[in-house]
Amino acid sequence: MNTAASPLLSVDNLTVEIGGANVVDGVSFDVAPGKVMALVGESGCGKSLTSYALLGLLPDAARRTAGTVRLQDRDLTALSERQLRKARGKEISIIFQEPSASLDPLTTVGAQIAAAYQTHNNVSRSEAYDRARQMLADVGIPDPDRRLHQYPFELSGGMCQRIMISIALICSPQVLVADEPTTALDVTIQAQILDLMKKLVADRGTSIVIITHDMGVVADIADDVAVMYAGRIAEIAPVQSLFDDPKHPYTALLLASVPKLHHAPKTDLATIEGRVPTLSEFGAGCRFADRCPLATEKCRIEQPPLFDCGGGHRSACWHIDRMPEIRKVAA
Amino acid sequence: MINYAVQRFIQAIIAIVGVLTIVFVVMHLSGDPTLLLVPQDASAEMIAELRSQLGFDRPIYVQYLDYIYGLTHLDFGMSVVQRVPALDIVASRLPYTIQLAAGALLVAIGVGIPAGIIMATMRGSVIERILTAIVVTGQSVPTFLSGILLIFVFGVTLRWLPTSGAGELSAMIMPSIALGALSMSTFARMTRIAIIDELSKDYVRAGRARGLSLGQVVFRHVLRNASIPVITIAALEIGNLLAGAVIIETVFAWPGIGQLAIQSIQSRDFLVVQVIVLLISFVYVLTSVLADLVYVFVDPRIRLVR
Repeated sequence: MNTAASPLLSVDNLTVEIGGANVVDGVSFDVAPGKVMALVGESGCGKSLTSYALLGLLPDAARRTAGTVRLQDRDLTALSERQLRKARGKEISIIFQEPSASLDPLTTVGAQIAAAYQTHNNVSRSEAYDRARQMLADVGIPDPDRRLHQYPFELSGGMCQRIMISIALICSPQVLVADEPTTALDVTIQAQILDLMKKLVADRGTSIVIITHDMGVVADIADDVAVMYAGRIAEIAPVQSLFDDPKHPYTALLLASVPKLHHAPKTDLATIEGRVPTLSEFGAGCRFADRCPLATEKCRIEQPPLFDCGGGHRSACWHIDRMPEIRKVAA
Repeated sequence: MINYAVQRFIQAIIAIVGVLTIVFVVMHLSGDPTLLLVPQDASAEMIAELRSQLGFDRPIYVQYLDYIYGLTHLDFGMSVVQRVPALDIVASRLPYTIQLAAGALLVAIGVGIPAGIIMATMRGSVIERILTAIVVTGQSVPTFLSGILLIFVFGVTLRWLPTSGAGELSAMIMPSIALGALSMSTFARMTRIAIIDELSKDYVRAGRARGLSLGQVVFRHVLRNASIPVITIAALEIGNLLAGAVIIETVFAWPGIGQLAIQSIQSRDFLVVQVIVLLISFVYVLTSVLADLVYVFVDPRIRLVR
C-alpha cells in the first residue's frame, strides 16, 4: 500500500446484501493515484459485486447496506442517482468481462464511442467523432477511420475490449474499474490488453481497480492486491509482499495451487480441500475456517479483524504467527 | 443478397400455389354450384347443360390445370353467380377491408407497443397491472363476442356509435377496436418480452456505466434491438387481421372481402373465394418478405453477412 500519497479512491466497510446475507462484508481498501489495485478471489467471492457497488450499479436483487466509496473528497454512495450518473463514465468508469456483449450490436462502434463522449461533454457530433478516432488510436486500434464505421460483430473480442476501454476512458476518468477484462479473451490477446492498461496508467495517471481470479494477471499488472474470500477481504498487501510472504492461509494455499512450470507431469495439482460456504452457511467466525488447516475453535466463533503486519500488509487471520505450518502443507 | 431475394421469391410462389391447391380441392369437394344456380323445378338436362357450360363436368384435375393456366394470364375467372370477373367483385370490396385492417392495425400497434414498453420498464407498478388486465382481456375475449359487446354498449345502450355499415369515420371505430384487440395483446406481450430480454443484456449495464439513465438506454439502444422480434409479429399480424376481418365484417355488416368470402362460400362461388384466398395468402407472403427486408435495414448483422 502506498501510504505516502493520499488515496484517490477509498472504499470503507462496503457491505452488500442479497436476500439477507452479506455477500460483500465490510470490504475496505484504498487506491492511490496512478496505481493498480487487484481484487482476487474465486467465483462468487463478491469481487464483481464490489466493483459494481463502486459505481452504484448493483443488480436489482443486491443492496448496499453499509459503507462508503470516496472518490477524492466526494462520497459516491451519498450521491443521488442523478449526480451519480454525472460521475459514471466521467470520473469513474467500468469495463466488463464480455466485451462484445457490452456493446449495442446494432450501432457502429464509432457512434457508441462518440455518444459516450457526448454524454458528458456538450460538443458536436463531428467533434465527438474526432475524439473517438483519437481514442481508437490511443488504445492501439489500427486504421481507426475504418473501424469507427464497423459494428461490434465485425470485430474480434480483443478489439471489442479495446473499444470498451476507449469508451471507458474517453472522458478521462480518474478511476477505471475492470471486471475480469481479459477472462473472455485468448491468452495472447490478454497480454496485449494488460499491456494496454499498464500503458494507460503510465500515460494518464488513471488508477485501476482490476477484478480477476487469475494470479498471473495480478502479478503482471497490480501494485496492490486484496484477496477476497466469501465476501470478505482475507488479506491485502503490496503485490510483491503478498506473493513472497502470504500472511493468510487462504492466500498461501491459493498461490500453491497455481500450476508451476516445474510441476512434475501426471501428478495432481494442488487444491484446497472443501468448498466455499454458501450464503446460508456463513457463520459468526472466519468464513475460511472449515477449509483451513490452521483453524481452531476461536476461528469458528470469532471473526478475525485485519491485523497489520507492517509495510501495508494486513491479514484477517488469528494465526498469522503459525503461517510457516501452512507453507509445509502447501509444499 | 440477390440470391436471398430470389430464394424468398421462389418460396413465396410455392406457398401460394400450395394454399391455392388446397382451397381448390376443398371447395370442389364441398359440392357443385350448378344446383344452386338453377331454378327449383329445373330438369336433369337443364342442369347437365349448365354444368357443362360452366365446365364443372370435366375431371377436377382438368378444371385445376385450366384454372392455373388462366392465372398465369392474370385471368382469375368469372363469378359463377354474378357472371362478372371474380377479380372485379373482390376489387370493389377490397378498399373497405383495407380501411378496416388499417384501423385495426393502428389500434394494435398504437396501443400494443407502448403498452408493452410500459409493462417491461415499469414492472411492479399499478399502471403495469392495469395494462396487464387490459392485455389479458384483449387476448382472451373472442372477436365475435367483443364485437357484439361493443355494439351492445356503445351502439345500442349509449347510442354513441353506429352499429353497422361503412359510412362515416365513426362507423370504423368499433370494428377497428374489435378486430385489433387480439393483435394489440399480441404486440403488447411480444414487445414486453422482447424488451425484458434486452434489458438483461450486458450492453444495458454498460450504457448505464457510461452515465446514461435507464430510460436513455431504453430509447437509444433497447427499443431498436427489441424491435426485431416485434417486426416478425407485425408481419404475421397483418395477415391475421385480414383473416379476422371475415368474422368482424359479418358482425358489423361491413362490406369488405371478409363478408364477401362468407357470402361466396355459402353460394359456392368458387372463383370469388379463390381470389380472396389468393389475396390473403399473397398478403401473408408479401408481409413476411417485407419483414425480411426491414430486418436487413434494422440489423447490420443480417445486412452485412448475407
